[in-house]
Amino acid sequence: MSRLIEQFQRLPGVGPKTAQRLALHILKRPEAEVQALAQALLDAKQQVGVCSRCFHLSAEPVCEICRNPGRDRSTICVVADSRDVIALEKTREYKGLYHVLGGLVSPMDGIGPEQLNISPLVRRVNQEKTEEVILAISPSVEGETTTLYIGQLLKPFTRVTRIAFGLPMGGDLEYADEVTLARAMEGRQELD
Amino acid sequence: MFLEQLHLRHFRNYEDQPIAFTAPKTILVGDNAQGKSNVLEAVELLATLRSHRGGRDRDLVQTDHSESIITARLRRLSGDTKLAMTLRNSGRRTVAINGETQKRQLDFLGVINAVQFSSLDLDLVRGGPGERRRWLDVLLVQLEPVYAHILQQYQTVLKQRNALLKQRRSHLTNPGTTAPIDPTQLALWDAQLATAGTRVIRRRARAIARLAPIAQQWHHNISGQQEILELRYASNVAVESAAQDDAGVIQQAFLHQIKEKAIAEQYQGTSLVGPHRDEIEFLINQTPARQYGSQGQQRTLVLALKLAELILIESVISEPPLLLLDDVLAELDLKRQNQLLETIQDRFQTLITATHLGAFDAQWVQSAQILTVKAGQLHQA
Repeated sequence: MSRLIEQFQRLPGVGPKTAQRLALHILKRPEAEVQALAQALLDAKQQVGVCSRCFHLSAEPVCEICRNPGRDRSTICVVADSRDVIALEKTREYKGLYHVLGGLVSPMDGIGPEQLNISPLVRRVNQEKTEEVILAISPSVEGETTTLYIGQLLKPFTRVTRIAFGLPMGGDLEYADEVTLARAMEGRQELD
Repeated sequence: MFLEQLHLRHFRNYEDQPIAFTAPKTILVGDNAQGKSNVLEAVELLATLRSHRGGRDRDLVQTDHSESIITARLRRLSGDTKLAMTLRNSGRRTVAINGETQKRQLDFLGVINAVQFSSLDLDLVRGGPGERRRWLDVLLVQLEPVYAHILQQYQTVLKQRNALLKQRRSHLTNPGTTAPIDPTQLALWDAQLATAGTRVIRRRARAIARLAPIAQQWHHNISGQQEILELRYASNVAVESAAQDDAGVIQQAFLHQIKEKAIAEQYQGTSLVGPHRDEIEFLINQTPARQYGSQGQQRTLVLALKLAELILIESVISEPPLLLLDDVLAELDLKRQNQLLETIQDRFQTLITATHLGAFDAQWVQSAQILTVKAGQLHQA
């Protein structure tokens, strides 16, 4: 029992109380259900790898998005993590392809550009006749450096854009903080 | 503004202590190590999200407990506000205004404003430049809460750049075991350091420019009109004073200086240019107070600075801030005590700690609320 609790506690966002609750819940379920859960965990770990083109999580060598003939192959949206692909997919707004970097440049954590999937991105842009690369990376200090780095690298080959940062939808201007407002000001656009 | 109530739960040596403030001045009196300063520290945390004593959150939580809650009720011109701050052994903090949890700690700043004056502040003149930078940063956060974010960003860039410089140094001294670093990456961190650093420099320059004349006036009054105090912001990135508010000029100078110090940075493996190496100079009659000031002069100086802080914050937020006097009145002679007390009168709500009431003016004690502190318990005297 304590082994199970300890294992749950290692999961992100799970504290000692939640871990205990989850463990008790597992013990109350029928064995078949627990079996199915364990199998699902193992299957996911063994079968899900990354797409050889865009590095998004995928059970196949090439992921569903990259295989989909309906997607616009002339744009690549660059994100830090597979989680960002999932978030962007939920919008159903974007019809192009993705490229997952697998992190952000952070010397403190020993992550330089060479530890990220940046050279495969450069190769892709050169081979796939990409017309636009959209950088969708969080505006943190590390995200900013990563964005600028990739921007410099790809500018000679294609059009590079970055997503806008600013006011959240439904947010009132007067309640926005100074940092967000300054960002929104910087990213202002011509009214058409 | 007036702090009406403070409630400490499992904070330092307090189990569960409600405190109602009933007079503009409250004196917490008791022996050492009974918990007087802890009350002031709680207010300081609410005002600045930090404690001048430093340390980790687990040190703030009472032994054998996992979390501590500080709540307060504050009266401001704009209305009453309830504040709550939860500190945990894990280091994760939660802050709430009127029961609403704030997503970002930054939004909690600026609700309570307070000037802290403790015996440690007397080291402001004699201590190293780090102490003066910390003092200025705490003041700036009160004047413009967004500065907390600006400073934090600068510190992150600085840490990242230092990590990169260290990697480069270990590659240069030991090329076999580590990979060379990409010069493009370093150039980007240079640019980020200059951008974030420029924001810090401009705000610091502006704050000193506003504080200096007020401090000078006070110093002039306290020292009996004989001495002239000057506050000078000596930024590590030097630009002419006329250009101190020009972001473009500062950024240029910043990058230029990085280039000049490139070799030194390479050998030392750390960032040598930027506001993390700023100095704030205190000059009395044009000589540095640090080297030449007598102890009395240095005390006058610190008192003038603190009074200036009070007045500046008051003028910026249009309300008198709280004043926290931690064990400091006894360190001032009667003349300086009176100067301080005359200024605050009943305008600034003041919390004072002292080991005994003997050193205070009798009339003054009469109008104050006296609370005795013993082993984490407060009693109305």
